Amino acid sequence: MSLTNLSHVISHLNNVTKARLGLTSIPNTKLHLKLCLALQNDGFISTVVRGGPTPPAPHQLLGHPSSEDIEPVTQANIASRRLWLGLKYWRSEPVLGKMKMISTPKRRVTAKLEVLRRVVQGHNTPYIEGLRSPGESLYISTDKGIMEARECVEKKSGGLVLCRIR
Amino acid sequence: MNFTRPARCTLCNFSRAASAAPRVPRRQFHPSPFRLDDQRPKDPAVSVAADTPKTTKQAAVKRKLGTITRKMRAASVRPYTEEELAQLREVYSAQQVAAIEAGEAAIDPKDFARQFAVRTDPMRLKYLDDFSHVEPGVDKHVRAPETNSDPTQKLKSTEDLMQDFAQYIQEMPRDMNAAHFVRWAENNRLTKGKEEAERRPHTSLAPDFFQEGDKLRVPEEEGKEGQARDQSLHRPAISLEGVSPPLAQLIQSTGLSQEYIKSLSTKSLVFHSVTNQTRLGKVQRFYCLAIAGNRDGLLGLGEAKSFEAADAIEQAKYRAIRNMRPILRYEQRTIYGDVTAKVGAMDLKLMTRPPGFGIRCQSLIYEMCLAAGITDLAARVNRSRNKMNTVKAAYEALLSQRNPEDVARARGKKMVDVRKVYYSGRVF
Repeated sequence: MSLTNLSHVISHLNNVTKARLGLTSIPNTKLHLKLCLALQNDGFISTVVRGGPTPPAPHQLLGHPSSEDIEPVTQANIASRRLWLGLKYWRSEPVLGKMKMISTPKRRVTAKLEVLRRVVQGHNTPYIEGLRSPGESLYISTDKGIMEARECVEKKSGGLVLCRIR
Repeated sequence: MNFTRPARCTLCNFSRAASAAPRVPRRQFHPSPFRLDDQRPKDPAVSVAADTPKTTKQAAVKRKLGTITRKMRAASVRPYTEEELAQLREVYSAQQVAAIEAGEAAIDPKDFARQFAVRTDPMRLKYLDDFSHVEPGVDKHVRAPETNSDPTQKLKSTEDLMQDFAQYIQEMPRDMNAAHFVRWAENNRLTKGKEEAERRPHTSLAPDFFQEGDKLRVPEEEGKEGQARDQSLHRPAISLEGVSPPLAQLIQSTGLSQEYIKSLSTKSLVFHSVTNQTRLGKVQRFYCLAIAGNRDGLLGLGEAKSFEAADAIEQAKYRAIRNMRPILRYEQRTIYGDVTAKVGAMDLKLMTRPPGFGIRCQSLIYEMCLAAGITDLAARVNRSRNKMNTVKAAYEALLSQRNPEDVARARGKKMVDVRKVYYSGRVF
């Protein structure tokens, strides 16, 4: 789990939403894929498609591509695989707001269930500020996968705090 | 398939079977004029042979109506012939036929004749109809039955109940007994509004839908909120004589009435002199930053400079009124979430707070909150504490709030205010 690469991705996404791009790509790793799928599930991004150095065909981006459409990952092409993300905008404002790393490569921040519960209720804790603004969310990497903080509290599991989106 | 006929809607199924005559579509898809069937017969030879040259089809219809009117008598109602009965038995079962016969036997022939006769009174219809079918376009649509629900229903207060009791005592009969009182106590209404809403309310298993014209809000409560409904708002003064020129200009440009402008709370927050160094020397002027608000969600900022101090203040206030913009308020008391803003070296954070917290922040932001109608708020001003930039940053922060509804729509998610649900919408 490279938090360095994750922080690069996050600052890339911040730059991309500022530039109002509709499509962007990030390196393909398991961590990035899981985080992107969690973001897509929460409606922050529209599509997550694995592709090569060039953007995938429009039909793959617009619909759910079937497995035949996607080029399979092999030893030969694995280094060139990228995740192509479709970004969303609403009333000329990016849906994916400002992203910020909580854990850093130098300091990993974990949160137990009690801490997360306080954070979700809006209280500040030593390393994590409370979720107080409307639509603010926090992503946690747990043994049950990458989840939003509120879902973590629902499923009663803590983990490594990855990033915050406001 | 005939394309000139419009598609038949579901309601049309209630009407009688489609007539043989072609319908006239509203819009033609070809340039040549459309001829109605009844304007000219298809085969002139046949029509000439059938009708005398002077009688048109319309006249024939009129004549027919006349004969029905004259000839309908009780005697002309005859029972079914064997042939007709046989036809009926083909379509209906024996029980249904018996029911039809019993039903028709139950109607008085005189009544039948009167109902079936064509009216000749001045209020008669211009067309032949026995009203056995709903004709869409001519008759009204079939509406859903009216419900017993009453959105304006309210529980009676103690005083109302006391009044009811007093009325009962006044109207009490001489031979009063306990049963009489019990009957009154059981039948006395406990709510105001539509009587059926209390007597026969709808069940929670099948709740009523809102009817056309029903409103959640009581009519008398309307107009209190929403600036457009404010009567005094858009009523410019009749004459602008005697009004100072800047105020007259404000009234003319905004359309606000003089009373409304007077009712707004305005305050000059920052006032100092500024100097411009020119080659002729120093030019001193006065600077003013003022705010204006209606204490109910509107807030504006205005800046002005003038050689006269009073002019600067007046202009700044009027500009603030002109710049008033709506501020998002959660439960009409605090802001949505924490917001930050940065102007120059100012770094400012406004924080949402629970009910009854009060406005705990420095004086400038406090004044802005008062004008905007915010009652619960905390603020933190970091780095620089320049007065002018504080006000500007606070205004920017208040305007930068995100509406949760927008957030939900942007993400395609449903978002619910749990507090509002818990208190069933009675949070403010």
